[in-house]
Amino acid sequence: MQEKVKEWLEQGRVDIFLGYKMVEGHPLPHSFTKDNIDEVKDLVTSSARYSLEKIATKIAAQKPDIKIGLIARDCNERALNVLHIWKQLNSDNIETINVNCCPSRIKEHADCSYLEPEKPGAYKKTVGIENNADVEDIEKFSQEELFKRWMYELQKCIKCYGCRDICPVCFCKECTMDSPELVATGGDLPPEVPIFHLVRAVHMGGRCIDCGLCEDACPVDIPLRMLYRKVNGIVADVFDYKTGVSADQSPFNILGEKVTLQPKPI
Amino acid sequence: MFVIGSNTTACHPLVARRIIRAKEKGAKLIVADPRNIQLSLFADVSVNQRLGSDVALLNGMMHIIIKNGWHAEEFIAQRCEDFDEMKAVIEAYTPKKVEAITEVSTQDLEKMAELYATNSPAGLFYAMGITQHTTGVDNVKSCCNIAMLCGNMGVRSGGVNPLRGQNNVQGACDMGGLPNVFTAYQPVTDPAANEKFSKAWGKKLSDKAGLTITDMVAAMDDGKLKALFVIGENPRLSDPDLHHFDHALKKLELLVVQDIYMTETAREADIVLAGTTVAEKDGTFTNSERRCMKVNKAIEPVGESLSDWEILCKLSTAMGYEMSYNSPEEIFNEMTSLTPSYAGMTYERLGINGIPWPCPNTEHPGTPCLHKDRFTRGKGKFHAIEYLDPAEMPDDDYPFFLSTGRMFAHFHTGTMTRASQHLHDEQKTGYVQVCPEDAEKLSFKDGEIVKLSTRRGEIEVPVKISGMVKPGVLFLPFHFAENAANMLTNSAFDPIAKIPEFKVCAAKIEKAA
Amino acid sequence: MDYKNIPSVCSYCGCGCGVLFQVMDGRLTGTLPLKTHPVNEGRLCIKGWNLHEHATSDRRLTSSMIKKDGQLQGASLDEAVKTTAERLKGIIDQYGPDSVGVLASAKVTNEENYLIQKITRAVIGTNNVDHCARL
Repeated sequence: MQEKVKEWLEQGRVDIFLGYKMVEGHPLPHSFTKDNIDEVKDLVTSSARYSLEKIATKIAAQKPDIKIGLIARDCNERALNVLHIWKQLNSDNIETINVNCCPSRIKEHADCSYLEPEKPGAYKKTVGIENNADVEDIEKFSQEELFKRWMYELQKCIKCYGCRDICPVCFCKECTMDSPELVATGGDLPPEVPIFHLVRAVHMGGRCIDCGLCEDACPVDIPLRMLYRKVNGIVADVFDYKTGVSADQSPFNILGEKVTLQPKPI
Repeated sequence: MFVIGSNTTACHPLVARRIIRAKEKGAKLIVADPRNIQLSLFADVSVNQRLGSDVALLNGMMHIIIKNGWHAEEFIAQRCEDFDEMKAVIEAYTPKKVEAITEVSTQDLEKMAELYATNSPAGLFYAMGITQHTTGVDNVKSCCNIAMLCGNMGVRSGGVNPLRGQNNVQGACDMGGLPNVFTAYQPVTDPAANEKFSKAWGKKLSDKAGLTITDMVAAMDDGKLKALFVIGENPRLSDPDLHHFDHALKKLELLVVQDIYMTETAREADIVLAGTTVAEKDGTFTNSERRCMKVNKAIEPVGESLSDWEILCKLSTAMGYEMSYNSPEEIFNEMTSLTPSYAGMTYERLGINGIPWPCPNTEHPGTPCLHKDRFTRGKGKFHAIEYLDPAEMPDDDYPFFLSTGRMFAHFHTGTMTRASQHLHDEQKTGYVQVCPEDAEKLSFKDGEIVKLSTRRGEIEVPVKISGMVKPGVLFLPFHFAENAANMLTNSAFDPIAKIPEFKVCAAKIEKAA
Repeated sequence: MDYKNIPSVCSYCGCGCGVLFQVMDGRLTGTLPLKTHPVNEGRLCIKGWNLHEHATSDRRLTSSMIKKDGQLQGASLDEAVKTTAERLKGIIDQYGPDSVGVLASAKVTNEENYLIQKITRAVIGTNNVDHCARL
């Protein structure tokens, strides 16, 4: 991989390559360029997952024509598809080096909550929702019970907005979660339950690529991944739209008619 | 886990994460706070003790623990002293007496005592809700009493855990930013320590303890303190009595403020020195768990500002004492050579993870857990403590209890957070929490601007109707200069710690004229 | 295009969470939680996520100031430092070192706090140094 990245940078196939570098024992996201080509020998794949594609989006917003290479697992690939569809990244300017989606079940090789499920605590098991359960697993509960369990989970929220801030496909300049008309700002914790999280969940339908970074960033372990998976499942059922699976299908043409990002006059 | 006087999810969110995780794994949680805080929702038992009644509450718990024989007799016998003196005082704190003072029912008190004493190890967590009282030291000692009583000291997941309010308040204390001690709490009055520092710095140093911040304000007012040099603080908002502070400030001949913003204090200064934020310098911070960690310069200083350490070196040199450090690392190395608890630390060893002190030599891994086999002072001393009322209690003229504190999106005097767009958007101005019952009685609407007054002064502030507070209690966040809490708070302070009673005073609330 | 992540520590509360400052062409553009940090394990609160904003705020003081004719006016740092030194020395000469008080800070680094108390004790010559631990 290091050879390939070196070659890409030297030949100008990419201007910048986003990977990881070990710094004082910690894998940190790092940008490799032609100017610091010697650093490429320190390039590693990381157990810790940072959203390299979100960094790429940030860079591309500043320099639209820059060619960016990055290490990509399956989830990164799905995110790149969504970002392309939503015109946040031009896929012509993106090159990826694919790496295994954490094949090992050894903790050191993955913080992906898919692969290394943490055992749910005894108390959480009785009142909450397990972080790594499937949608089907929890649908065994009655509606009433399920609602109670979700309310328990959402009441833990400390309103860090980390689920949004870390999300690779959250790129809106104006976010509904900041809109006081929909969700009250300030005041006490928790934020309005369950509205705060439902507003975000609705916006994740057709957008979420199920990377789980939100859940990994949640200080209080709310099973966000499942919440969005459920919403996305509805989108998949109704529109036969599988988010991020390809760059060809887009939410703008799922109804058969091509619509554009330009708002239509009412 | 026993959380008392800490709104952890708002003020120490990443500690709250650990508390909630432990709870989900099966640990028991006791929350005692005058308000219904977010953590109360998850507690096995949650009580709202009357403001300022913590000593009575803790004594009441200990009364029940001793009566039931739940105390750690062996630990007390081997590692503590003066237990009998304390026990004699505790005897009188019957549940009935405690209920009369704290408004906590006997049933809840018994449950708290049982949960704390019978689920070892139990960690006790507190913040300014314990310390900012005229009985702050008594409150802290009572926390230590109950932890020792149940043998919860020197064990992992146990202990008495003060949650420090500022990122480097631990470091500022460790570095000798206190009037009576050099680094690592070496007393200025100790001849050996004084000689060590005198020799290292090449100057004969004063062996007379200096003035605390509270004493400095008094000395300013008396005309004895002529110059004040303030670095990275905003006492015009953080001092308990703004009127008194401003009055004293006018008597100064020189006020120098070194800061990153034009704070309320800087506006009054004769000279303002532009310092830098954490993003613009190298150095170290020491967090609540005594973990000394490195920060790294990310960007160049903004405008013509300069790293605070460089400004200080220039100032010292200009005053005739040459300081020519090339880097914070050089300063750190000089500091560690004089500071036993930091002696084994180097920038290289700290890395990203940092090291908790004491770390006496370069092979030492650091100490995550203090008082393991013996207390630092030898035996753990029990203190016999009687409950005392706060300095000011509600009366006919000022019938409400007023407490102050932080809310989740802002920090301290708001200078940093109000300059941050996202945090400002979250909460733009101050408010006073009033419970629904009181709001109805006073016919307040949510958001209505009301007059809030105490014997010190009055402010206008919007009402936030909130179930967090109980009838008769008001809560005012202190981040907002336009609704300054320190126009109202009481400057009465703890006789030993000199900490002001920010958490309790008597207030009146009424419709704005 | 130069993009860097600089590991650091949050400067709000006493938790001491590990962060990464995102720096693009010398500008601070964001804060990320340090995923493998022992304190926060890749999580942050609302203040931590927005840590960069307090540094890049347009409220920042970009130059030192000296009060002239009752008004604070822009001055070079060297001039401000020189004036501070002269006026402090004047007060020390006239009233003695104990007429000066210094407030150290729970916001600046250990190294800076060390220097503050060193200057107070060795240069000014008093132990009148305290900070806001009590407030």
